[in-house]
Amino acid sequence: MRISLTINGNPVSEDVDNRTLLADFIRNTLGLTGTHVGCDTSQCGCCVVHLNGEAIKSCTMLAVAANNSEITTIEGLSNSEDLSAMQESFRRNHALQCGYCTPGVIMSAVDLLKNNPKPTEEEVRDALEGNLCRCTGYHNIIKAILDVSKAG
Amino acid sequence: MVFDIKGKFNSKLISSIGKPLERKEDERLLRGEGLFSDDFNLEGQYYVTFVRSPYPHAKIKNIDKSDAEKSPGVIAIFTGEDCLADNLHPIPHSPVPSTKYDLKLTDPEGKDIFIGPQLLLPVDKVRHVGEAVVMVIAKTNFEAQDAAEKVYVDYHELDWTADINSSLKEDSPKVWDEIKDNICVDTIFGNPEKVDKVFNSSKYLFSKEFHIGRVTGVPLEPRSALASYDSTSKRYLLYAGSNGAVRHKFQISKTLNIDPGSLRIICHDVGGNFGTKNRVYVEFPLVLWASKKTDNPIKYTATRSESFLSDVQGRDLLTKVELSMDEDYKFTAFRASNVSNVGARVISLSPLGKGIALVTGPYDIPLASARARAVFTNTVPTNAYRSSGRPEVTFAMERLIEIAAKSLGIDPIKLRRINLINKDDMPYRNALGVTYDSGKYEDNMNKALALSDLDNLSIRKEDASQRGKFLGFGFSNYVESSVGNPKESVELRVDADGFISLIVGTQPTGQGHETSFAQVAADLLGLAPEEIKVVFSDTDIVKKGGGSHSGRSMRHAGTVICLAAEDLIDRGKKLCSLLFDQNYQSISFAREGSFTWSDKKISWFELAEAIEGVELSGDLHTGLNIERENEMHEPVFPNGCAACEVEIDKETFVPKLTKYIAIDDVGRAINPLIVDGQTHGSIATGVGQALFETFYLDKASGQPLTGSLMDYGIPRADQLPSFVTELNEVLSPTNPLGIKSAGEGATTPALAAVINAVVNALEEFDIEHIDMPATSFNIWRSVNNKNKESKS
Ligand code: FES
Ligand code: FES
Repeated sequence: MRISLTINGNPVSEDVDNRTLLADFIRNTLGLTGTHVGCDTSQCGCCVVHLNGEAIKSCTMLAVAANNSEITTIEGLSNSEDLSAMQESFRRNHALQCGYCTPGVIMSAVDLLKNNPKPTEEEVRDALEGNLCRCTGYHNIIKAILDVSKAG
Repeated sequence: MVFDIKGKFNSKLISSIGKPLERKEDERLLRGEGLFSDDFNLEGQYYVTFVRSPYPHAKIKNIDKSDAEKSPGVIAIFTGEDCLADNLHPIPHSPVPSTKYDLKLTDPEGKDIFIGPQLLLPVDKVRHVGEAVVMVIAKTNFEAQDAAEKVYVDYHELDWTADINSSLKEDSPKVWDEIKDNICVDTIFGNPEKVDKVFNSSKYLFSKEFHIGRVTGVPLEPRSALASYDSTSKRYLLYAGSNGAVRHKFQISKTLNIDPGSLRIICHDVGGNFGTKNRVYVEFPLVLWASKKTDNPIKYTATRSESFLSDVQGRDLLTKVELSMDEDYKFTAFRASNVSNVGARVISLSPLGKGIALVTGPYDIPLASARARAVFTNTVPTNAYRSSGRPEVTFAMERLIEIAAKSLGIDPIKLRRINLINKDDMPYRNALGVTYDSGKYEDNMNKALALSDLDNLSIRKEDASQRGKFLGFGFSNYVESSVGNPKESVELRVDADGFISLIVGTQPTGQGHETSFAQVAADLLGLAPEEIKVVFSDTDIVKKGGGSHSGRSMRHAGTVICLAAEDLIDRGKKLCSLLFDQNYQSISFAREGSFTWSDKKISWFELAEAIEGVELSGDLHTGLNIERENEMHEPVFPNGCAACEVEIDKETFVPKLTKYIAIDDVGRAINPLIVDGQTHGSIATGVGQALFETFYLDKASGQPLTGSLMDYGIPRADQLPSFVTELNEVLSPTNPLGIKSAGEGATTPALAAVINAVVNALEEFDIEHIDMPATSFNIWRSVNNKNKESKS
């Protein structure tokens, strides 16, 4: 089937197999490899993107279901030389090590602060329940997100 | 001279070392521009799916691929017979740790160990669920998957053995017919007779058996391999993530029977390792071989489910420990009998060997003996997993101390204090002959206790009780070791464009080498870290190197960078002397990265420009380009402790870690920001095993029941607290920078500290021990059994 959507502000139109997952479409068809795939049971959150302004796990949706939608991936978070506030805070706080979970975590974090600009530590931890990180023990991730919230 | 190899680093040189600099690697990773293995694609690539064994143990009677071959898009289907026909060799695993200081493990007769050859695809039988049996190649991933469903493998199921006790039994099913039973290692260390004697006459003797269960690393990036073969240049190319592509290059070449020079491996960003990606997987040589056979690039990326079934796993040690004390509670002798479940093949004996060397932990025990055995089972092989072997033995020692203290009615902290190795006794040779380089163990403990607010513990317990929770405090000391591959190499190249390339053999998997190695080189060469470009990841550029494991990278790289920097400075002086016709002695190297003589001054980069086009001969012919290798066998012993609190819900028995304090002596911390991050992750690894993680096999069928992230519990953000971490840096005298290691220390005491807290929380039930993971079900069952016991 042919689908059309807007990704990081750019309109695209591509043929996809009906069973292609949105995550694979983003990575393999569009070549946006910042969105990662870490599992096959919708648990790890490496694949989180924004679909029509909301964080979703792109491995949990078929590409065809995203027809006519507007998607932002990690690559679209900052279009300039400067990193976005969340990305910058992750760097300052050393909230990433291997960086594999990072795009998904950041997309979830941005979504969290959009809906709840001043979360408590517990609320941040709850909101990240669907994003696994095996490297950082979450400590610096939580710090980075709270820092952005305080500055905002 | 900036240092001498056994001496001290000239601390006047320090400018960026020790600073919490932000990481150079972050920008690309934060923008989604990292380059992980599966991010690479080659024009027209085919895809592979593997048919894997559904049985723990079975004979392969027949493989029928006729239906699959007709499936749309299928290019080729290969089996073990095809590999044999092409003379592919087993993977040359080297499981026995090889430095001069490693304790020597042998088979039961004192001879070389039978490791169980790992053919790329098996021909006779399968030995664990998930073992790859058939390789299906098709034009698309979907087509490969569809075709794999149509391969019919006719198996004859065999009896199997999955756990240590069953493999030790005389009538156990045998994993390998080549040896008489399942025991592949049996070695005794220390002085068993003397220990017996002391035990017989001791005032107190305590003993306990523990099983430290099977877990799996779950780096979030599943393993992946993309291969191609160029028939014109006759060279192979592989994109595959690991902890060190150089070693993989040599092992894979042996497997394929090719000249190592004809294989290039590219490995940029790696999404976590923890031991899981240390070893060569069969898929790597297989895609290379198949890409030559099909004359087309081939890609394989594991699904998470496949990773659970076929990634090497960790721990799985059965240990019996015995400890005697005199009337003053001074430890007098210790005995350990450790059995490691190596799985279907021996891939690594590091967990067994490293653990055995440290069974007496940070305590001063004059006598010890230890028996080390390893058994085959029908399970995935085990490998070094973050802090290989050390959390296991620390768990046994620190649990035993708690049990002993309780039975003696004394404070477990006091019991530890009486027996800790004194800092004045450093370097300390333990009863198994292993020498700890340095450390201030009691200071570690004091720091942690000062942060623990034990004076108010009873108030906190009371308060928790009001909220419907049992609160417990747990503590554990540790000493661990960092050994690993003794060789490391580095190349320094000054570029007239204004940077120095540092080409290094070891490979990061998230530890930030691009930043920390640059900090070291920058200080030594009088530059800023931005002027040092760390290069790894391509075996056509990086020719030698040991890889990141056993916490070795910073120490080994740091040391060889020191050596190379000194050579480079010497080279710079010689070049100045030649170019500007000066006496070598009159040239000095200034801290800000320039060479000076009389009133002249020239920077690294001006010098590089000056020699461009100049014909250099003899020793100087490489110009400002230095290669240096170093071999360093002596281990270091990071140490520290952990204190924590756990709350257990009185109704559901769900445990929650509420407070965690870690004190670690990592030697010199090159970048404390990175070191802290390593500590956090390291804590989570240990806490994961204590509370959530177990790779569980069904007792009746041998089938894994934790084959996905839905069933295997890795710690989530809402299950952990923020941590309190502090360093207690005691510089190691074994290397110029005084480095120990930072990546694994904090995992080491975590298992014991958390379980000690869980048991302490349940003190009113008088429970001696809770097995890991201390899930709500395990806790409830222990409490319930205790209740039944007291009623009967
Ligand atoms: S890939 Fe794991 S949740 Fe989407
Ligand atoms: S940084 Fe490696 S998984 Fe999160």
